[in-house]
Amino acid sequence: MKLHRTVVVLLAFAMPAGAHHEFQTFVQSHSGRPVNCALCHTSPDGPEGTGAGQIGSLTEGERERLNRARAAFEPSPVVDSPILNDFGNLLVARLGKRRILELRSKPELVAAELGFANDLDGDGIPDAQEYLDGTHPLSRHHGAPLRLFWHELRAHAFQVAMLFAATAITLYGLISVLRGFALRLQAHESGDAP
Amino acid sequence: MMQSFLLLGLPYVAILGCIAGSIWRFRTRRFSYSALSSQFLEDKSLVLGSMPWHLGIFVVLAGHAAALLFPRVWAGLVASPTFLLSVEAIGLAASALAFVGLSVLLVRRLTNGRVQAVTSVVDLVVLAIFLAQIVLGVLIAVIHPYGAAWSTGTLAPYLWSLLTLRPDASLVIDLPPLVQAHLALAWGIVLLVPFSRLVHVFSVPLAYLWRAPQVVVWSNPRRWSSSVAAATVLPARRLFLRGAAALSVGGALLAAGTAETLGRFFFGPRLSEEQQARLDARKLERLRQTQREKELAVERAAQRYIRIATLSELDARKGRYFIDYEMRPALAFLGEDGLPLLISAKCTHLGCTVASELDAQGRVLCPCHVSFFDIKTGMPNAGAPAKEPLPHLAWVLMDDTQQVVASRGADGRDYGRVDPERAASLSVYIAKREERVS
Amino acid sequence: MSTATDPLSSRVARFVRERLPAEKLNARQLLIEKEVPQHKASWAYYLGGLALFFFLIQVVTGLMLLFYYQPTVSDAHASVAAISEHVAGGALIRNLHAWSASAMIAVVIVHVLTTFAMKAFARPRELTWVSGMTLALIVFTFGFTGYLLPWNQIAVNATKVGLQSIEALGQYLPGELARWPTYVRETIQGEPSVGQATLSRFFALHVILLPLATVAALGVHLLQVQVHGMSRGVDVEQVKTERFFPFFVIKDLSVWGVAFFVVCVVAMCLPFDALLPYPLLEPFNPLGSTPDGIKPEWYFFFVYYPLEILPYWVVVAGSTLVLGTMFLAPWIFGRTSRRTLRVLALGAAAYFLLMTFFGQTVYEILKGGQP
Repeated sequence: MKLHRTVVVLLAFAMPAGAHHEFQTFVQSHSGRPVNCALCHTSPDGPEGTGAGQIGSLTEGERERLNRARAAFEPSPVVDSPILNDFGNLLVARLGKRRILELRSKPELVAAELGFANDLDGDGIPDAQEYLDGTHPLSRHHGAPLRLFWHELRAHAFQVAMLFAATAITLYGLISVLRGFALRLQAHESGDAP
Repeated sequence: MMQSFLLLGLPYVAILGCIAGSIWRFRTRRFSYSALSSQFLEDKSLVLGSMPWHLGIFVVLAGHAAALLFPRVWAGLVASPTFLLSVEAIGLAASALAFVGLSVLLVRRLTNGRVQAVTSVVDLVVLAIFLAQIVLGVLIAVIHPYGAAWSTGTLAPYLWSLLTLRPDASLVIDLPPLVQAHLALAWGIVLLVPFSRLVHVFSVPLAYLWRAPQVVVWSNPRRWSSSVAAATVLPARRLFLRGAAALSVGGALLAAGTAETLGRFFFGPRLSEEQQARLDARKLERLRQTQREKELAVERAAQRYIRIATLSELDARKGRYFIDYEMRPALAFLGEDGLPLLISAKCTHLGCTVASELDAQGRVLCPCHVSFFDIKTGMPNAGAPAKEPLPHLAWVLMDDTQQVVASRGADGRDYGRVDPERAASLSVYIAKREERVS
Repeated sequence: MSTATDPLSSRVARFVRERLPAEKLNARQLLIEKEVPQHKASWAYYLGGLALFFFLIQVVTGLMLLFYYQPTVSDAHASVAAISEHVAGGALIRNLHAWSASAMIAVVIVHVLTTFAMKAFARPRELTWVSGMTLALIVFTFGFTGYLLPWNQIAVNATKVGLQSIEALGQYLPGELARWPTYVRETIQGEPSVGQATLSRFFALHVILLPLATVAALGVHLLQVQVHGMSRGVDVEQVKTERFFPFFVIKDLSVWGVAFFVVCVVAMCLPFDALLPYPLLEPFNPLGSTPDGIKPEWYFFFVYYPLEILPYWVVVAGSTLVLGTMFLAPWIFGRTSRRTLRVLALGAAAYFLLMTFFGQTVYEILKGGQP
């Protein structure tokens, strides 16, 4: 019987149940990219449920952390909620829980209020921009394609230049050797001719 | 005082002396622009000495030139430990080669009588200075290793400050005495160039690689084929040389850029404890997921009934996902009649799993190709990609003593009766075989 | 010239002799004597070599990925993520594999269209053409099987949708035959729904069977290309030619060099995954709902959008017809002028571009909604 109950409870929360659909809806319509709760939460299915990173599976210590984080109504230096990911925690730390609840009716202001200074994943695109773009703020390999490309190109400028030089020089060498062979061949042929 | 003369004065004296001396020599003794070959006097040990010496010194000088003339590019390259180590190793090997060659040449000058006859004091001085310079260089490489890296921030700016006529010795003034001696000796060699056989560095046949082929052709018909062969073999050889040079430079660059990463790719990741823990947690979560699926399958094979929820847990607007006996996803709602409503969640179009929340018209959405299914009838909306309705599932209601009190067949007919008072204590099950209670 | 009275065996012998002339099967004839025509459309002669180059990149990067990839439903996703995050150079190798795969397919498509337009299939190059079409099919199968391996949401769901569309054929078949498409689908999957068995056999196909098949078909293709040379390709009597070795080889190598540089820079600077919404990159969850935005890779759009827009049987009949026609092109279009072929190829190219870049718009205009 215990197994039955676990299974049913698990399945019941397989769908996103997040409390803050407003942000998700805004990001999706603003960026044209579908997003899910994993933008800010630990679990892609939102905080409620018994899966990893959801309230139902928290240990005693994590519960305490959750309660402390839930009390962060005003901006505070550090928030460490077990059901939020680093971006979610950053949002609560910067804006405070009260402001976040207010912003549910104005989700477009989140980016400006968070500011464009933070870049948690170090992909060169500020977290606030990633929120607007609907890309993952915690994945170094995910970002708006053009922004990511230009940033990486600048970061890898030296390698790109060296790669260009190496390719060009190797190609030149290969071509020279080929032409050398061709000349040899030609000499061989015309040597036979007369 | 002496030190600043050696670092700032001597360079200019050497460069000016070198230029002036070369011009003087070119104007007065033009045809002495050569190494004054002594090959016809003695050639065995000449080859043994000259070949390694020239090969070694060429590689060493090329390395010095690359690092000092293009310090920024060079600094980027030596940032790769593989490249740095390779450069140091190649440099040491080339120095050793040059040292051996030079020693052979020196011994030859000192022991072979015929060569001695044409050897001037300057020749011996040049040989001795070079030998000393090589020893100094090797000592520096051994005692103060990784010069390929540290020279870009010290010697290169110093050299450029001299070349741009803003001499600044501050960067080299505190370098170890060995390095300063190496520097001073280097300027000395520059000064010596026009006054010794060293002048032949100006006639190194590098242009050979690019100039148009010059071949002496015999006008004798008997020599026709050999002259044609010569006309093509020489350019071909030049192409091969050029190609080999370019291939080794390009290959070295490619190797410098990739060797280390490649090595580490195959060496494999060595994760920190925290990274390892995170990776293991992720894998564990996936294993649990696989375990859950297996458990569901085993349960369905073994159990006559599968519990979905209590009747009171069901919601009219938001369905609960469960897995039916065929391991397909399905949804449980509370119907308008207060009884469960179980419907397949596998879209009849291409098998995606439909969403669980009802829209205003009491329909669920399949996100893959946008079909809306009315959960009461199971029918898709008109014009949807799905044509077939979602089938309803049979269920049974049991009380806490596992007695079946009511059921619905797959045909939609209800059996049994639910006492509203006791409804809260009832649980919804799906059954392996259809159950009917009268 | 064969006549109907010849015995079959001698006709077969003559066919083979013409395609594989013994006097031409030596290095001198295959490499040194070969001449390549030079005209306005000569750029098309580089496409086959370019596709080969991308295939070589796939072999090297694929072998490297094999060192770390784990083909099980529980580990596949985590092992791919570990390649990107923890293995030195792993992200670059994976991106090279992904970008070069797309580049290879794009080049193959253009190659097929241009050779068709140049009537490169005409006698005696039938074998070149048929082996080439086989290679094109193999390349698409590479794409389809490789797509599943990361075992993320889009991979598994798109594979499910793709395989399920086989089953839809059943509705047009009578009686017992109607069940056959289901058998076919389940045979491909190895079990009733996409799971571990599917992953195992797609993995085997992708890393063993398809590469072997490619090598075999490529052998025939290249040998035929070298034996018969490039087709003249244009309706001009006097065509300038240049020697294959070294002049054409040098240009071919230069094209490879440029391709190498470009694909490396793109792989270094733009992760292929960034083109997808991140929820699709999460590990596949068989117990949850399907996320939004499931679509096949871009190179299947040309059959995907018609499937969404037109009745199923139209698409199936149409693609069977087109595929059959393409395979039998040497015998169907044997007397067609190059002008007509060029118009056909241009039409096909326009269709490809339309579906690949504007398929979504076309769908929305015709259907008024999101697919």
